[in-house]
Amino acid sequence: MGVRRRGQKGHRFAESPVLQLALQGWRSRLVGLVLMAAFGLLLARGFYLQVINNDFLQEKGESRYRRDIEVSASRGKIVDRNGDMLAVSTPMKSIWIIPADARQMSPAQKQKLAALLEMPAKELEAKFNSDKTFAFLKRQVPPELAGHVAALKLPGVHQEKEYRRYYPTGDMTAHIVGFTGVDDRGLEGVELAFQNSLIGRAGSRSVIKDRRGQIVEDVGALRPPQDGKDVRLALDSKIQYLAYSQLRAAVSENHAKAGGAIVIDARSGEILALVNWPTYNPNNREHLSGAQLRNRALTDTFEPGSVMKPFTAALALDRGRVRFDTVIDCAPGRLTIGNATISDAHPHGALTVAQVIQKSSNVGTAKIALGFPPKEMWEMFDGVGFGQQPNLGFPGEVTGRLRPWKNWRPIEQATMSYGHGISVSLVQLARAYTVFARDGELIPLSLTRLDDLPVHGAQVFSPQTVREIRAMLEMAVQPEGTAPKARVAGYRVGGKTGTAYKIEGGVYARKYVASFVGLAPISDPRLVVAVMIDEPSGAAHYGGDVAGPAFSHIMGGALRTLGIPPDAPIQVAQAENKKEKL
Amino acid sequence: MMLAALEAPRRQVPEIDYALLWSVLLLLFAGLVMVYSASIATAEGSRAFSHQPAYFLVRHGIFLCIGLVAAAVAFQIPLSLWQKYAPLLFLAGVVLLAVVLVPGLGRDVNGARRWLPLGFANLQPSELMKLFAVLYAADFTVRKMAVIHDLKQAFLPMAGAMVLVGGLLLKEPDFGAFVVIISIAVGILFLGGLKARLFAVLFFVLVAAFALLIIVSPYRRDRIFGFMDPWADAFGRGYQLSHSLIAFGRGELFGVGLGASVEKLFYLPEAHTDFLLAVIAEELGFVGVLAVLALFALLVQRAFAIGRRCVQLDRLYPALVAMGIGIWMGVQSFINMGVNMGLLPTKGLTLPLMSFGGSGILANCLALAILLRVDWENRQLMRGAKL
Repeated sequence: MGVRRRGQKGHRFAESPVLQLALQGWRSRLVGLVLMAAFGLLLARGFYLQVINNDFLQEKGESRYRRDIEVSASRGKIVDRNGDMLAVSTPMKSIWIIPADARQMSPAQKQKLAALLEMPAKELEAKFNSDKTFAFLKRQVPPELAGHVAALKLPGVHQEKEYRRYYPTGDMTAHIVGFTGVDDRGLEGVELAFQNSLIGRAGSRSVIKDRRGQIVEDVGALRPPQDGKDVRLALDSKIQYLAYSQLRAAVSENHAKAGGAIVIDARSGEILALVNWPTYNPNNREHLSGAQLRNRALTDTFEPGSVMKPFTAALALDRGRVRFDTVIDCAPGRLTIGNATISDAHPHGALTVAQVIQKSSNVGTAKIALGFPPKEMWEMFDGVGFGQQPNLGFPGEVTGRLRPWKNWRPIEQATMSYGHGISVSLVQLARAYTVFARDGELIPLSLTRLDDLPVHGAQVFSPQTVREIRAMLEMAVQPEGTAPKARVAGYRVGGKTGTAYKIEGGVYARKYVASFVGLAPISDPRLVVAVMIDEPSGAAHYGGDVAGPAFSHIMGGALRTLGIPPDAPIQVAQAENKKEKL
Repeated sequence: MMLAALEAPRRQVPEIDYALLWSVLLLLFAGLVMVYSASIATAEGSRAFSHQPAYFLVRHGIFLCIGLVAAAVAFQIPLSLWQKYAPLLFLAGVVLLAVVLVPGLGRDVNGARRWLPLGFANLQPSELMKLFAVLYAADFTVRKMAVIHDLKQAFLPMAGAMVLVGGLLLKEPDFGAFVVIISIAVGILFLGGLKARLFAVLFFVLVAAFALLIIVSPYRRDRIFGFMDPWADAFGRGYQLSHSLIAFGRGELFGVGLGASVEKLFYLPEAHTDFLLAVIAEELGFVGVLAVLALFALLVQRAFAIGRRCVQLDRLYPALVAMGIGIWMGVQSFINMGVNMGLLPTKGLTLPLMSFGGSGILANCLALAILLRVDWENRQLMRGAKL
């Protein structure tokens, strides 16, 4: 290079002094220098931005596209006492579109989408032509189907994760389990009662989103979501199914309006089954009526009728006013107090206290009750839980109606002794009977499975009284009693029928509530079963005929399911077996 | 002929400036890669680009092919021929700039009418005008060399031409091209020996004119304020610049990795054109920015070196053309990068050789081919060959 330059210099000076003057070297060097200085400035600025001041800039950036998003916790399961699923959340997808983008779809693509989603092409077209920027195509789509949709790679079609609450046992457990709304909040039943522990706590993740809101990078979890806790109910699905099918059969057989049944474990107070009819399918609640929704066993009260008599008898025995075999004159089947008259359905003569219960004499019970101060009787009713909430934590629990004793007139005290002028819910009634199953103790009921046994409660009657009442209850299901149809093959059972007039518009109507509440095995009571049939309008309307058979099936099935050893004499069992074979 | 040059045996003195050639080819290739990376999300996410991720890659590739073919042709044309037709080309450029402004012929994009639709692509006359301005200003200066100190004869005609071109550019408006072309013209006049005192006056007049323009036109004033403190109105006037700066900050020393930019995901407008450097800064870091700067610096240095060689060979016109191209590349890349880094107010100006844009790539390729031609001619002369 150096050699050539020397040569060129000579050339330049010789030929063009003007040029030498014109293109002075300093000018080009100056311009070059200015440009290089400018580049140097850029270099310094770049170094400042990228190496020195980058923390500030990155912070600014994060404030723009780093977002903490909520990671939803999955709702806890509801299971029965053996872990069988009653309510479970399954991941689903919602499919939504940006209509403007979706309009680019070819007719063939539209057809495929419509076929996959089972939507009429017209409806699809209408959503595509919406002028909104967002529209749901279909919600709660199974993940597999959503996968097929995603595989089509259609323009403007997006998916979002969501959960769907599924109830595998359907209408069988609808009233106890309840259901959730679209936003995953409990609306009814256990879903509502245990909302706080089921819902869990949403976590959050930090993500980087692009300007259109799509997540492009997952930076990390700030707080992991806490999934909701599972709720383990006391319910036994097998017994529940039994109660459900028997209740349904009893309601339809007797052309009744409604019904309820409940099974309680007397040892623990756990509710093993609770059913109502009519019911509904919680998985498809499109055409739901109020009648279907009502959890009658808890929210409806009724005048119980004769099922109350054993409490009156127990009080009298407990206070030593009567003995098991004290004779009470029930003739002529009528009793006038003031200007009101009490009558028996079938007139009886002289009956022992035990027979009054066995044959369900109103007159006899009233005569027993009339000896008491109202306060004592009120305290007994209160003691077995009437007029109080059952405190299951269940939505819509009612207290029933137990008027203050100070206003009781004698006729009212008399009718209350056999279950009129007082109203109770089926759950209250069944709970009160646990007193007879437990040697006189009233324990709280539990919807959830209990692991800490034994459970204790307040003593209402003495064990001796209770033993005598059990004997009377057992007599009631003998052929001479009111409910021979309530017997269970292989087990000694006892119980009481109830056939009460319903009050309509303040007066008693010719409509009945037939009920049966009983316990078994009598030798060591384990279960209390209560069955209530509302407005039976078939051939029979007596509690023993309407509710008795359902009780028998539910009680028998439940005892066998729990593997409770039979305590009845073998001959009876064989006789029953023969009958069935015939 | 370029290929022949490449295949020449090593022992011989090379027929071509390989440092220049390679810096140009590297910038072009890096530009293609970065345009693809910067545009992929925009192209895929927009109906206007048929949701094709490679929309801009394919088009930029086609432009590069056209540009390289045009460059190969331009390399065959002697500088004497360019000089002969320079006034004609300049006139053609002026006509095109005027045609763009005719309603119905020029095409509006974002309130600026800079494009002539040609069916398959749009032509941006202001890009070609930069090249024509180099060719014409050099020719003018050489012709007026004898009277370069005479204001009336040497300066005023050129000033008149610049007022005409500048007026047309500002009418579009294309403030960026205006600055580049004025810089080229003034730079070449300065190199040609325009009186230093006159130049000083001219410099102040131009500065005053810029200031006046900025004050009179509200949209330019907005751009100025946005650039002074982008964080004051970060979601309004300072939006684009603040995102560009964030991209630089995220890049740090080595970048977040090719393709990993977040800013290009609809945050940074014009990521594949005016703000390509911001994406380079984010994905390839300070090292990437340094490489781009180094390549442009090398390119400018080579242009001036070639120009000085011409002076030594008494080739005045090629000298001014070479240095004019150096000024063009230097000024435009400086302004673009300065805008990206927040050193200069935001204006629509692409990064030469790299940004997406057919007319820009074509004009840049032609200019660099002419620069290589100047160098090739120098080498031929030095070997004693006749042109």
